[in-house]
Amino acid sequence: MNKGLVSGLVLLSLGLLCGILLSVVNHFTAPKIKEVEDAIKYEALSGFYTLADYDISEVEGTGDFGTIFILNAKGTEDIQAIVYTVRAQGYSDSQKVEMLIAVNSDLSVENYQVVSHSETTGFGADIVDNDFNVLKIDDLSGFDAVAGVTKTSNAIKACFTLVSERIAADLGGGLSE
Amino acid sequence: MDNLLVLAFSAFILENIILSQFLGICPFIGVSTKRSSALGMGVAVTFVMLISSSVTWLLYKYVLEAFSITYMRTIVFILVIASLVQMVEIFLKKVSPTLYKALGIYLPLITTNCGVLGVAILNISKEYNFIQMIVYTTFIGLGFLFVIYIFSMLREKLDFSPVPKAFKGAPIALVIAAILAIIFSRFGGII
Amino acid sequence: MNKKDNFVKGLIKENPLFVSLLGMCPSLAVTTSLENAIGMTLGVFFVLVLSNLIISLIMNNKKLAELVKPVRIPVYIVVIATLVTIVEMVMHAYLPSLYFSLGVFIPLIVVNCIILGRAEAFASENKPVDSLIDGAGMALGYGAAIMLISIFREFLGKGTLTIWGDLQINLAFIFNFLKIEPIAMFVQPVGAFLTFGLILAAITAISNNYQNKLAKEVKNNG
Repeated sequence: MNKGLVSGLVLLSLGLLCGILLSVVNHFTAPKIKEVEDAIKYEALSGFYTLADYDISEVEGTGDFGTIFILNAKGTEDIQAIVYTVRAQGYSDSQKVEMLIAVNSDLSVENYQVVSHSETTGFGADIVDNDFNVLKIDDLSGFDAVAGVTKTSNAIKACFTLVSERIAADLGGGLSE
Repeated sequence: MDNLLVLAFSAFILENIILSQFLGICPFIGVSTKRSSALGMGVAVTFVMLISSSVTWLLYKYVLEAFSITYMRTIVFILVIASLVQMVEIFLKKVSPTLYKALGIYLPLITTNCGVLGVAILNISKEYNFIQMIVYTTFIGLGFLFVIYIFSMLREKLDFSPVPKAFKGAPIALVIAAILAIIFSRFGGII
Repeated sequence: MNKKDNFVKGLIKENPLFVSLLGMCPSLAVTTSLENAIGMTLGVFFVLVLSNLIISLIMNNKKLAELVKPVRIPVYIVVIATLVTIVEMVMHAYLPSLYFSLGVFIPLIVVNCIILGRAEAFASENKPVDSLIDGAGMALGYGAAIMLISIFREFLGKGTLTIWGDLQINLAFIFNFLKIEPIAMFVQPVGAFLTFGLILAAITAISNNYQNKLAKEVKNNG
């Protein structure tokens, strides 16, 4: 037989063998790798939900909305929760207050977190961990502002209001288009 | 356009392949004792880098990703680079003997130059589009050429300097590289 | 050569990094912390030992060797690349933080001259067991070398020594005692070249000294 052909066959069969071996290893590591990648990508979300229980998709928001994460129950189309990245003007002109607001399908507010702000240190810093007493997104009447940090509190309230205005439509499938 | 300029500048100076990414150190220390050989190596590396990055980028986007076998990346890339280097060698021999004479001896060394494979992989992991990939690769290659050429001029001077015995050869080369790295890293303020 | 000599030569006499200057790129890039150096050592150890074993198994079988001879180097490369990809996937899945800090240097183990060099120079001509031992010795020699560099760099640059994850030795008190700050330059690219160059010079000086001594002894005795 032709020497070149034999060499080619040797390489090809070795390549196939290695390919099969790798695909077997890949089969074991791929789900784990996906978990790791998701954990990094959705780091902020992982404080709110157990990510492994959901299928997560992303929609890029417009206007004051950043990325919107939609959490479906694993393997279904049922929206379990929506997490909004939303911004509003606070005390500082240069940077808006940005926060994550997680709303469950029954309109209860699962959690919220101020992601970034450049408010006056000493006052503004307090807002990050403050409990604003918002339990239902359609009822902001109990909103607890932080005394002395009116503008920032207002910005945060504005964020909640923005979310409350669209949540019903989004849960009804308004985001899937 | 602005973004491409920034990309080009940072690939050339800030992310300099030798001085900040530490790729292609072997030829950097090994083939930089004479100006002519440094120039030849630099041109050959830039050339091969550009061809192999384009080919591997296209292969990755249209074959590996399409069949979702991205885990074959390393094997495919290194084989593509090795065979491309061979082909370039044969091609140059036929088409331009003078160019072959100048670059030929450096080509086989390039297969195991981690810079070429490194840039091919970086282009994928940084998720560049085709144009960004071309710009990045070109300027990474030119950065290699630039630094290895400067370095060879310094090393030619070194032949006439009284270097302490223990520092002869690689150690003093590395110390000089350190000084060059300081200079290059200070350009960071421009961006 | 007996088995012990075969193992030990990779550590000192034929140390791949300090004596043969092979595999310099990762030794400069991943030595910013001891943890990275340890991770790199694990990867290189796995790949080098197995590639030596597999290649020597192939080359010791007469029929296979006959087939493989004309395309020897590509075959080595495919074997090595497969092993490297396995390391990459396993590390990505189970040691993600290490995976991200080593970055592109994991796939680049493929073009690490040590591995191809050992395959060509040793594994293709020796028995599987000897090749295995040679691989282990070389990998540990390389590992010891990059760990040495990283100890200097991390200690001088950050004042700590990170062994694994949160297991960290804080040596900042030494800097406090001397009333100086850690020298951040050492964890930057500059420090890589400088540290490596200086260690290399020190090793050359020591071995020169040793050889001079040997020469003198021979002279006196003769």
